[in-house]
Amino acid sequence: MKLDVVEAHARPAARAPASVRDWPGVDLLRRVPGLRALLRWRPLQFWLMWFNLAVFAVFLYAGLFGSPVGSRNIIIVFVWILWWFLLIALLVPLLSRFWCTMCPLPSAGEWLQRLRFIGVREGAGPGRQRTRMFGMNLEWPKPLRNIWLQNAGFLCLACCSALLVTRPVVSTVVLGGMIVLAVALSLVFRQRAFCMYLCPVSGFLSLYAMSAATAVRVRDAELCRRHMEKECLFGSREGYGCPWYQYVGTMTRNNYCGMCFECLKTCPHDNVTVYLRPMFSDTHLKGVDEAFKAFIMTVLALAYSVTLLGPWGTVKDWANGPESGQWGHFALYSAGIVVICLGVFPGLHLLASWVGRRIAGMEASLRDVFVRYAYAWVPVGLFAWIAFSVPLIAVNGAYILSSLSDPLGRGWDLAGTAGVAWHPIVPDRVAYVQVPLLLAGLWFALRTTWSLAQRLYPDARRAISSVLPTWTLATGVTAVFVFFFVG
Amino acid sequence: MRRGMAKAIPVLGLLAGAAAAVLLFAGTDPPQDRTITVFARQYAYEPSVIRANRGDTLHVKLVSLDVTHGFYLEGHDVDAAVLPQQAKILVRRPSQGDAETEQDEIVVRTDRPGKYRYRCSHTCGALHPFMAGELIVAPNHLLHAGIGASAGLLLGFAAFVSRRPRAKPEASREA
Repeated sequence: MKLDVVEAHARPAARAPASVRDWPGVDLLRRVPGLRALLRWRPLQFWLMWFNLAVFAVFLYAGLFGSPVGSRNIIIVFVWILWWFLLIALLVPLLSRFWCTMCPLPSAGEWLQRLRFIGVREGAGPGRQRTRMFGMNLEWPKPLRNIWLQNAGFLCLACCSALLVTRPVVSTVVLGGMIVLAVALSLVFRQRAFCMYLCPVSGFLSLYAMSAATAVRVRDAELCRRHMEKECLFGSREGYGCPWYQYVGTMTRNNYCGMCFECLKTCPHDNVTVYLRPMFSDTHLKGVDEAFKAFIMTVLALAYSVTLLGPWGTVKDWANGPESGQWGHFALYSAGIVVICLGVFPGLHLLASWVGRRIAGMEASLRDVFVRYAYAWVPVGLFAWIAFSVPLIAVNGAYILSSLSDPLGRGWDLAGTAGVAWHPIVPDRVAYVQVPLLLAGLWFALRTTWSLAQRLYPDARRAISSVLPTWTLATGVTAVFVFFFVG
Repeated sequence: MRRGMAKAIPVLGLLAGAAAAVLLFAGTDPPQDRTITVFARQYAYEPSVIRANRGDTLHVKLVSLDVTHGFYLEGHDVDAAVLPQQAKILVRRPSQGDAETEQDEIVVRTDRPGKYRYRCSHTCGALHPFMAGELIVAPNHLLHAGIGASAGLLLGFAAFVSRRPRAKPEASREA
């Protein structure tokens, strides 16, 4: 049994509920007729990926050969307005990482690894050799088994966001480059190394998937413990072992489950299902890298709100430095974002953790308090991102219709909607949606960190003392978001 | 206090915070007539923020410093266009169709408090979708209510949990 080899990729301390009775969720595969059959149907993922890849190819072509004006090019309008809004406001909070099920970026690499589009390439050996993979199939280096590279990648993209979301050719180069990188890595490292450790989108999906109302889990963890074949890990003739190196038998968080449903297909006991559950059910951050992802995402929501939605021309000029040749200002803008993401904001959180620990008592280590309470920034950040995205779709939604008919901005009118004029949808009412969203984020932050504090400090008063500085900081940050959106 | 009623404490805190903040900052200066010249350039307006009081009448003159720019004022049924270095502006009322009139200025009455963005409505370059300025009409109730509600929620939640001495030690929760 090579269980240890595969589980080495998983985060430590993962515990599963003892049985379905401990799980406060609804077993969707038993409740929704046909859902189990659909998710076990092998061609499902292929067709979803294939469709998205075809659409994506059009986007990439449009980026290279279409109009250089972002609002008239489908890659900008569909990726950075429509897709982004659907992803952050609906897909992730409701369906966790379901985007990963159909993501076109790693599709070519995965098909190349398997030398199959749909079927399973069976092997004759034990363990991982039950299925055969093309390529070198190396293990991902141990020191890099974290999300620091994803954090760095997302930060780099964020610094160039003014270019990325407005220049079609830049979007094509970045997104096309990610496909090339995913293919290259699939030939060197086994399974979804790109998705797991490099993809910048995957990084924030992993963080915010913790909030999701759905989760892939086992019905009975004890059954998994006793069952020694572990088809979900190593594969079988029904499917591949988990491409994300996860063992569903002990999985208690959504972070690294790419919802490929291979475990659902391979489990001979029909013990894997999809649960509907309350939002923010996963509350454990398990490393400083994950805590920093939460900081980075929260700061970037603020930075994007200032740069893209704000009225300050100087900030836009600096972010847009490469167009105007102000490279020095662009470097300053980028450095500012990096320093706030990696220094100032984590420093404030560290200070809040330190003060809380001083007041409450010193039993818990500062690192433990720091990482645990960093969870506050998951709901605050997620709802801030949703609040940021609402005006994008409300103000620029009309471009979706026009670019649908004229994807390259060449004067076509394929669906008769090219002439739809730009007209914002109730833009002056957007703020009335944003403020409740921000308050909802704060509410979830207070509730989840209170639960975490109680686990850290048995005494309620000490628990409150320990988390109060973090609550105060979260409230302050929420107020800052309110100020930027409506003040 | 019953447990069901106690659960309402955070909500009451939120509402109380919002109401207190709105009442605290309810005052505003008397209305006045003002003339403001707004300069538009890629991808910003100057002034980027116009502050007004409820009831003011703003006479907005628009000047473009580079290419053709628009001036779509949220919530006020105003969409204007200005060509480079021209004093006249083309103004239309979006609710009344595409008919444009040539004017010297845009007249805006700030009857409703809050924040309203003015946006460029004529494609002017790469960052065109993000070219915006802000008209802030005092008293900005939503801003005060939002910040007050945040503080009230914090206080209400802290009050709610502080009256529950129930302990949940780590070991018993995760065993």
